[in-house]
Amino acid sequence: MQASEEQLKAWMLAGLDGDAAGHACLLRTLVPMLRGFYRRRLRGAEDDVEDLVQETLISVHTKRESYDRDRPFTAWLYAIARYRLIDHYRRRKVVVPIEDVEAILVAEGFEEATSARMDVDTLLSTLSPKQARAIRHTHIDGLSVSEAAARAGIGESDVKVSVHRGLKTLAARLRGEDRR
Amino acid sequence: MNTDDLIQTLSRDVPRVSHRVLARRLAIGMVGGGIITMILVTAILGIRPDLRVAMHGFSFWMKWTYTLSLGVGAIFAVSRLARPTPVSLRWLWLLAVPVLLLAGIGIGELVDTPSRDWLAMWLGGSWKVCPWLVLTLAMPIFVGLLWSFRRMAPTRLRAAGAAAGLAAGAWAATIYCLHCPEVSAIFVLTWYSLGIVLAAAVGALIGPKLMRW
Repeated sequence: MQASEEQLKAWMLAGLDGDAAGHACLLRTLVPMLRGFYRRRLRGAEDDVEDLVQETLISVHTKRESYDRDRPFTAWLYAIARYRLIDHYRRRKVVVPIEDVEAILVAEGFEEATSARMDVDTLLSTLSPKQARAIRHTHIDGLSVSEAAARAGIGESDVKVSVHRGLKTLAARLRGEDRR
Repeated sequence: MNTDDLIQTLSRDVPRVSHRVLARRLAIGMVGGGIITMILVTAILGIRPDLRVAMHGFSFWMKWTYTLSLGVGAIFAVSRLARPTPVSLRWLWLLAVPVLLLAGIGIGELVDTPSRDWLAMWLGGSWKVCPWLVLTLAMPIFVGLLWSFRRMAPTRLRAAGAAAGLAAGAWAATIYCLHCPEVSAIFVLTWYSLGIVLAAAVGALIGPKLMRW
């Protein structure tokens, strides 16, 4: 179960007003969300996932002043989570395959769009069914690429390409480059 | 430490956060650094003796309008980059407006001046020190802005460093105007801008190291 943007934001705002209980609720709820976020990206390095979850909780706490109350909470959270991940790679001097970087970067616009309360279903329905399903599996349900491929009965590279093209189309549409 | 314990420890320290916390922190950093810069200008360089007269003239206000508009734009960029969520900085091209306006005034000056005086007008009496003074005077303000960033979460560190350097340079130049007696637009356009750009470059260079979190 994932808490809604409204609920998370309400706890965050309560915390900013000095409500320690609301702040604790927020942090506890973020744990499974962040585990999912990092698991999807680190694939199996369970110790690293837990380290990153804790580091991100600390950042959410120490950097709470950087949250703009007028903007969606999840966009802020994932911006911090993404920074912690990039910092993690930098410290480990890990080289990320270029397809993964693209997925991270393109997904950025997508997360922003969803947190701007656009209707995800309406958006996805404008894509081909294969692209829509691939994006739903990998970016909303949190499946890995291989799981998504198995479920849809197509190849892994097919999933990656569908996600990539689909997100690109959506990003272009959201930026208003494509007004059909 | 397990995650539950961590959350408990963190939740013990939840102070209230003001709605205008970012503006407040930036203001404290800027004013704090600005006071040091002001002290350096008055104590070491000295305020120009004809300041009262100069403040009735065109060139003083031309210089101030130029440096202030850059400073305001840069501070706006700094405030955008202090938060982690991605932002568009395309509007920064607006900062070209004061530069172009000053260039326009400069061309007017050149037209009105015999060409044998152009070099003297361009170099003024202080071209060798002006950019370096602006760069040096920018440092206290830059340090102030680094302090402002401590509780903030910039994710584009190089851009944030450059914006902080630009802001520090532009505000340092504004304060430096109280000392500097130069009057020509092409002098300001070249040597002031060079100092401000140097400050931005230093910021871009060291931002990623100093602003990491």
